[in-house]
Amino acid sequence: MNNTTIKNRKRFFEYFKYKWTTEPLFSTAIALLIMIIVQTAILGFGYDSFGDWFISWLNNWINILRNNAGIGIMALGMTFVIISGGIDLSIGSTMVAIGAVIMMLIDSGPKGILANMGIKGVPSCIIAIIIGLILGQVLGTIIGLLITKGNIPPFIATLGAMKIFRSVTQQFMQGYNPKVPSIFLEIANIKIGKFMLMPIIYWMLIAYIFNFISKRTIFGRQVIAVGSNEKTARLSGVNVEKVKTLVYTIMGFLVTITAVIQVSRIGSMDFANAGSGNEMDAIAAVVVGGTSMSGGRGSIIGTVLGTLIIAVMNNLLNLFGVPPFLREAFKGLIMVCAVLLQRKERA
Amino acid sequence: MVIEMKNIIKSFGSNMVLKDVSLKLNAGEICALIGENGAGKSTLMNILGGVYKMNSGSIFIDGKKVDFNTPAESLKSGIAFIHQELNLINDLPIYENMFLGREIKNKRNILDLEKMIHETEQIFNQMNVNLNPKTMVRDLDASYKQIVEICRAMMMKASIVIMDEPTTSLTKPEIDRVFKMMRTLRDHNVGIIFISHKLGEVMEICQRYLVLRDGYLVAQGNISEVTTDGLARFMVGYDVRTKSLSRNKTIGDEVLRVENLTDNKNYANISFSVKKGEILGVTGLLGDGRSELFQSIFGARNISSGKIYIDGKETKIYSTIQALNRGIGYLPRNRKENGIIKDMDIIENASIVTWPKFAKKGVIDRGHHNNVFKEQVKALKIKIGSITDSINSLSGGNQQKMVLAKWLSAGPKLLILDNPTQGVDVGAKEDIYDIILKLADENIAIVVLSSEAQEIIRICDRALVMYHGTIQGEVSKTTMNEHDIMRLATGGKLDQVREVKKA
Repeated sequence: MNNTTIKNRKRFFEYFKYKWTTEPLFSTAIALLIMIIVQTAILGFGYDSFGDWFISWLNNWINILRNNAGIGIMALGMTFVIISGGIDLSIGSTMVAIGAVIMMLIDSGPKGILANMGIKGVPSCIIAIIIGLILGQVLGTIIGLLITKGNIPPFIATLGAMKIFRSVTQQFMQGYNPKVPSIFLEIANIKIGKFMLMPIIYWMLIAYIFNFISKRTIFGRQVIAVGSNEKTARLSGVNVEKVKTLVYTIMGFLVTITAVIQVSRIGSMDFANAGSGNEMDAIAAVVVGGTSMSGGRGSIIGTVLGTLIIAVMNNLLNLFGVPPFLREAFKGLIMVCAVLLQRKERA
Repeated sequence: MVIEMKNIIKSFGSNMVLKDVSLKLNAGEICALIGENGAGKSTLMNILGGVYKMNSGSIFIDGKKVDFNTPAESLKSGIAFIHQELNLINDLPIYENMFLGREIKNKRNILDLEKMIHETEQIFNQMNVNLNPKTMVRDLDASYKQIVEICRAMMMKASIVIMDEPTTSLTKPEIDRVFKMMRTLRDHNVGIIFISHKLGEVMEICQRYLVLRDGYLVAQGNISEVTTDGLARFMVGYDVRTKSLSRNKTIGDEVLRVENLTDNKNYANISFSVKKGEILGVTGLLGDGRSELFQSIFGARNISSGKIYIDGKETKIYSTIQALNRGIGYLPRNRKENGIIKDMDIIENASIVTWPKFAKKGVIDRGHHNNVFKEQVKALKIKIGSITDSINSLSGGNQQKMVLAKWLSAGPKLLILDNPTQGVDVGAKEDIYDIILKLADENIAIVVLSSEAQEIIRICDRALVMYHGTIQGEVSKTTMNEHDIMRLATGGKLDQVREVKKA
């Protein structure tokens, strides 16, 4: 080993250390990279040709991404909520409630609301989605107003909403399972080439838009300002209440999109259990992605990476054959470790 | 017991707060520690109370050298520090507060409530206090909270009690109640250090005085041998006369006028007006309500009655956005808490006010902001590296200029500056004064809130002096001096000042 290699190595470590301490996303990205390498290595045994391996690898990845698109989309909204200094526990229940409304609207059975009004096919789907989006935003706005105008802590307001939405949905549905028309299933299941990519495309598209909103628009920057220092934001003429309410409105919008994707993917919904725990998964993705629970710091890209880390980890647990009961333990462990590794400022 | 502090030196970073202070304190007397804001009073007492460590110097108790590293050590030596923001827990009853951290336990390691209540009662009897130990602290008024603190000090067998401006938030009858208590304490042979700005109170309760100015002990003696006027002169000092900055005044039409503004809490019956190109100073002591008053005018607080006129038209301002849209800018006090957003970079901090103004359909026009800010950087002489550096990379003075820049790019017609030179070094201070004068020349109406009399005298055309939420008096450029301001700020009247001078 000559001097230059030592010097280069030293320089590399210094660069690494610098990046690690200055770039909040660096450790997240490294963690993801390591997991992907491990995952690829595990997949890499026992294939006849590179082509076979690649198809298998690709299929595995598409599965991972598609299964996590729902959480991934909701985590994008959750990023705004948490950066603004809030939290939203209601998203799983809201998703079920909106899913139920959409399914009742498009039901091709005897109870279908739109079908009984003579609206069928594509128009019925569009109307149902529009009504769903409006409803999602209304519910989100109500939560936001409870928090800002009613001065209820976000944790309590959304915990209440979580209980209310699921309970009311179950009462109304009473075990009735609407039939989703096949045209609606196309939304998530239509194939591009050989692959079912639609949920992934929706996710990435929304992530791109939200990244733009967060980085370049007044609203996006005001969310950070409000979460970082509400007093300064208010004294700088930022409408703090409006910003705080809007993040829940946007959350409601994204929850609706997730509901549409979920209903379309599976064609049915278990109103008692679907979406339960989604709020925690979304929060975990946001936190692993480097967003601070106390608000002010965080990024959309981080959340996408965070979602991927949790997704790849789930996949790894599968590949390793970890017993199902232990998986949650691993999830918890990885989440805590990820946050432990993050660069944190002490006050 | 006698406490001696010798050659105390303390600096925070490059800022020398105490420059060689030596003093002596006795048990059984009330000694006033006075001085202007920033003179070093609190720092000195925090050293004695074990909160700060001094850079050099020594403390002797009864001739024995002591070393305090924590407030607990200081307390053990018999020094109790009653902080301005009281150290009581509102959600616990009085007796638990009395024994906080030193709870009495019985044999089974369970709190012995009866004993704690009993001992509290004993202290209250000894001090002639009529309070039920089981009352929750949150139900007490401010004076009784002070009294509970005093009793706690008594119970801990303190021989010196430091009281940091105990009367600022109290009404007259409450102050009398605390004073009665202080006299009882003195009669129990306890020494009290009374930090205060209110010279009238100092004359009433104290036997001795110590005056700090710019980190030096400049005067000490017996209260009986001095007048309030004399004390004020000690606090201000003769030698620190700085020239006032002159300029070509062209004062125009009225921009802001308020009539009988009241919020039922911090200020009452405030009426005044500001004109274009005028620099109005508003001064007073801590707790005089001036910050709250101007936050209300800026829409960040509620007003319960009174009228605000802008450009002669009556206006209601319910939010900061409305104030902004009516052309009011507000540079808040406590930059860290109210002025900057630490998670955002310099350019974002500097442009947050003007995002809506320069945005295209909600998308921030970074290029435009950068250009506007670059002009400000030049005009305000802000020293920055890259505009995308963290705001924390700037010094206090440059941060303050940045906050100023943020308001200037909004083009206000009325600019309220609350403590504009707080935590700013001398050079930057002069820069900020120059900027303020230049802005007034550009026909902006400016209100400067400051507790530094010198600052007011140097830059303001006229000044209102506030005392306990009311305007105690007005001084104008030609007759402005620190004695008059200090007199008004401590609750005196201007004609009295004149009379004393004649006599």
